[in-house]
Amino acid sequence: MSLDPTSVAGGVGQSHIRRDADDKVTGAATYPGDRVPVDALHAVVVFTAQPHARLVSLDVAPAEAVDGVVTVVTAADVPVNEYGLTMFDQPVLIGLDDTGRSDVRCDVSRWEADHLAIVIAHTRAAAEEGAAALAVEWEPLPLVPDVESARRDLVLVHAETAPSNTYYEMAITKGDIEAGWAAADVVIEGRYELPHQEHAYLQVEAGTAWIDDEGRVTVETSGQWTHEDREQIAHALDLPEDRVRVIYATIGGAFGGKEDMSLQIVLALAARKLADLGISRPVHCRWSREESIVGHHKRHRATIEARLGATRDGRITAVEADVWLDAGAYNYTSNKVLGNAHLSVAGAYEVPNARIDSRAVYTHSVPGGAFRGFGGPQGAFVAETQMNKLAEVLGMDPIELRRRNMLREGSIGITQEPLPPGVGLPEVIEACAERAPTDGPRQPVPPFRSVASLPTGVDDPAIVRGRGFAAGMKNVGFSFGFPERCEAEIHFHGDAGDDRPTSVDVFHGGAEVGQGNHAAILQMTADIAGVDVDRVRGHFSDTAVSGDSGSASASRLTFMAGNSVLGAAEEAEKAWRDGARPAIGAFRYVPPPTETLDPETGAGQPNFSYGYMAQVVDVSVDTLTGHIRVDRVVSAHDVGRAINPELVKGQIEGAVVQAHGYVLSEHLVVDEGRIRNPRLSQYLIPGIGDVPTEVESVILELGDPIGPWGARGVAEMPYITYAPAVIAAVHDATGVWFDTFPLTPSRVLAGLRDGAADPL
Amino acid sequence: MRYAAPTTVDEAVGLLAADADARVFAGATDLIPQIRSGRPEPSVLVDLKRIDRLVGVGESGGTWTVGAATPTSTLTADEAFTGAFPGLSEASGLIGSDQIQNRSSWGGNLCNASPAADSVPALVANAVRAVVAGSNGERTVPVEEIVTGPGQTSLADDEFVVEFQVDTPPAHTADAYLRLIPRTEMDIAVVGAAVRLTMDGGTCTAATVALGAVAPTVVRVPDAEAALVGSTLDDATLEAVAAAASAACNPIDDKRGTIEYRRQVAGVLAKRAATIAAERANA
Repeated sequence: MSLDPTSVAGGVGQSHIRRDADDKVTGAATYPGDRVPVDALHAVVVFTAQPHARLVSLDVAPAEAVDGVVTVVTAADVPVNEYGLTMFDQPVLIGLDDTGRSDVRCDVSRWEADHLAIVIAHTRAAAEEGAAALAVEWEPLPLVPDVESARRDLVLVHAETAPSNTYYEMAITKGDIEAGWAAADVVIEGRYELPHQEHAYLQVEAGTAWIDDEGRVTVETSGQWTHEDREQIAHALDLPEDRVRVIYATIGGAFGGKEDMSLQIVLALAARKLADLGISRPVHCRWSREESIVGHHKRHRATIEARLGATRDGRITAVEADVWLDAGAYNYTSNKVLGNAHLSVAGAYEVPNARIDSRAVYTHSVPGGAFRGFGGPQGAFVAETQMNKLAEVLGMDPIELRRRNMLREGSIGITQEPLPPGVGLPEVIEACAERAPTDGPRQPVPPFRSVASLPTGVDDPAIVRGRGFAAGMKNVGFSFGFPERCEAEIHFHGDAGDDRPTSVDVFHGGAEVGQGNHAAILQMTADIAGVDVDRVRGHFSDTAVSGDSGSASASRLTFMAGNSVLGAAEEAEKAWRDGARPAIGAFRYVPPPTETLDPETGAGQPNFSYGYMAQVVDVSVDTLTGHIRVDRVVSAHDVGRAINPELVKGQIEGAVVQAHGYVLSEHLVVDEGRIRNPRLSQYLIPGIGDVPTEVESVILELGDPIGPWGARGVAEMPYITYAPAVIAAVHDATGVWFDTFPLTPSRVLAGLRDGAADPL
Repeated sequence: MRYAAPTTVDEAVGLLAADADARVFAGATDLIPQIRSGRPEPSVLVDLKRIDRLVGVGESGGTWTVGAATPTSTLTADEAFTGAFPGLSEASGLIGSDQIQNRSSWGGNLCNASPAADSVPALVANAVRAVVAGSNGERTVPVEEIVTGPGQTSLADDEFVVEFQVDTPPAHTADAYLRLIPRTEMDIAVVGAAVRLTMDGGTCTAATVALGAVAPTVVRVPDAEAALVGSTLDDATLEAVAAAASAACNPIDDKRGTIEYRRQVAGVLAKRAATIAAERANA
């Protein structure tokens, strides 16, 4: 078969227009909230609205008496009343009736968005009326709204299962920390407060459930990993996994926010209950924006204290850090996110001596969980800001400081193991240095939309400019010994005498969350099969037909799916040569194993691949109003191989915009366990007029030795360095370090007045 | 909720007079979100856009007339109007977003009575008059007399604003409007500042300064106006303008900005708006 990519239309390396583009641009694509069967019943999920309270009584009769209400699902209907992605610590429904098959106490609400009941009715309005009619009585319990109060352990969030709210800890001890401080000429010390962030995907949680022709409880929704959704549903409903089917409709963004369960289990319960009642109708549920913001996890709020020691010539001698993540009421993926924050707080540098202690802490706040970067943004913000402060104190070019410490081929990482081969960090740093050197000229760049507080066309002396730099790395794939895998199945079609297939089917579970994963899978399949991409049919994200792909997360899917496609194609090729028509190949790719880290020292190999990135950001700061504009971004990445260069650029620009909101405008107000601004009119994500005018994507293809076609991952990397680069640029412009953000105009002006940032 | 689309002013007044819970609307860009967020539903929604007088912009005999329901995108696209009132046009173009501006109107922006309404400081700075219709006929009142507090107006239940009137500006007169929000669109003003100046050979001969979002209603700043008149807008004058604007504020403390922040930025924007208005008037 031909392996010459140039002979295949839409093969690897081509910016082929993705198949879903037209439908998404014209609005023809149907997202889960659009797909309401005509005979569907409507479900409303009732939140407890109690950050911490014990359920005293729940009477569903008034709700069931409402005209149009069909039934109400309660805890008594949940066979195994628990779920959780990495540990079962969350009840599906809060209730007094308990099947006794879970250790999780289910009569206590620990989060304002804990689910109390599912009201199913003929119309959405009737379901809402029924929800309002539920007779419920609560006994309020004392709150631990934040990490500071939770750490005292006077009130335990999970008294039965976690004897301390500080329920998960990790440690690193490397080298001789005292010797490290003794060798340091300079010590940088800081305390950083990192804010929550809301995913703000356009498509809010929605889905439809029914019993399919083969009797399977079927949920059509959006998510990031069909097979994990299926496993969670099967566990709670006490069904074999093959009696549950999960299908993804078109997904309008996820960013980690759809990695955990939202409507999956409740929709399955609703379908099951209707079936038990002999009602053969699908059930649909769609959250409002407010329900979505209140009802799903956030990027973790974090407090990080850090010390960095270095010699006068800029060699790092010691790193110390204490990390606290606010896990909120349930673990979600906090223990895994903590791992990433834990490693990334050391930076992408050779650190001879280190002590790092990291903890996840339960509170009665919104759970923290997966969000693009997965702990990396919090850790890297601190690592990079500490480095930029060090450069300032040493009077050294921040890029030169990185050159003297950066990880390179053969370097030993913070976990005392060599980095996986193919360390592209030096190259991405130099790519930035070349395009935007620290002392290079800053070109004024016209914004997309003029800032209405500024005189237009006037070069006002109140406007100061600055440039900032940050670099880093992010793992590709699951870490810490998780059984990482990805499956694919490929069918080559053609006649007996054909030299090569005339068409190809590829079956894959990988979630197309908007990033272009299906386009990448189709292009990789076309390339290896030697057929034009238009001859490749994709069958995606339906547990009835596609294998376990693992999650669309951890910047892993191109890498993992690509390797699974390569393996499946090799199998199919063997069958083809043996004369099978169709020639079918199925493959389960398993990457090199990773390890859990030593509990005392943190030693071990946590990851099998990394992506490397560096960024330069130019800002303008209005010193009289505090308004910040980002004029220019240079974002350099070793992506290994760009399967579709335009889609890689899309990931870079999208990540920059999302990180722009994180560092500049998005301010989630969480007070006494309640989100106070659950609307997009109050929680300000960037508009097109706010985003950087110029994002120069520098795509280096240095090749990962074990990546498919050399590909690594790119989804999270451009996000991670942006906040510290902006903070450094604002410091360059104003002389003030902001150790907390978002940099709202009000906070910036106060910071310029006081010479330091006000707390949140 | 009933929907009515009268085609005459009298018909609309009749609908309002007949039902105290009826409400008029133009673009409904405030009304619909208010209903969705739980405010009581009006009994009748009276759509004013079918009434000829309510939509349109033009000058006649030294007076500009703007229909109360005219989309603000019509105003910003009107070159003659924008040439005569650049600041009023800027303020109109800052309401909501590009999409919102195809529905938003001065009448709605004024009568929604938000302290942060973008068009209102510029309307006040230009001494715009509102023509109000009701059961007792029509009356003409200065716009600053319409809004009495957040969400409150001086209009009777059966009254609504039909159109706005404003005198064609004298020679060497121009206005400017600046507004601060944390992002560039789709947010509510933290501070808005409108300034209108008449210049004579580099000296200011008339000035109005009006601030939005810093008090329950739009605030005129007489001390800033007094500082401007007779000045050449030298640095000392501009500092006096800023100080007077800051002093005139009586803001709230909320998520969008602290009291201190609003005071300070009100001064900055007033000063900057005055500089722009003077440049335009001198041009």
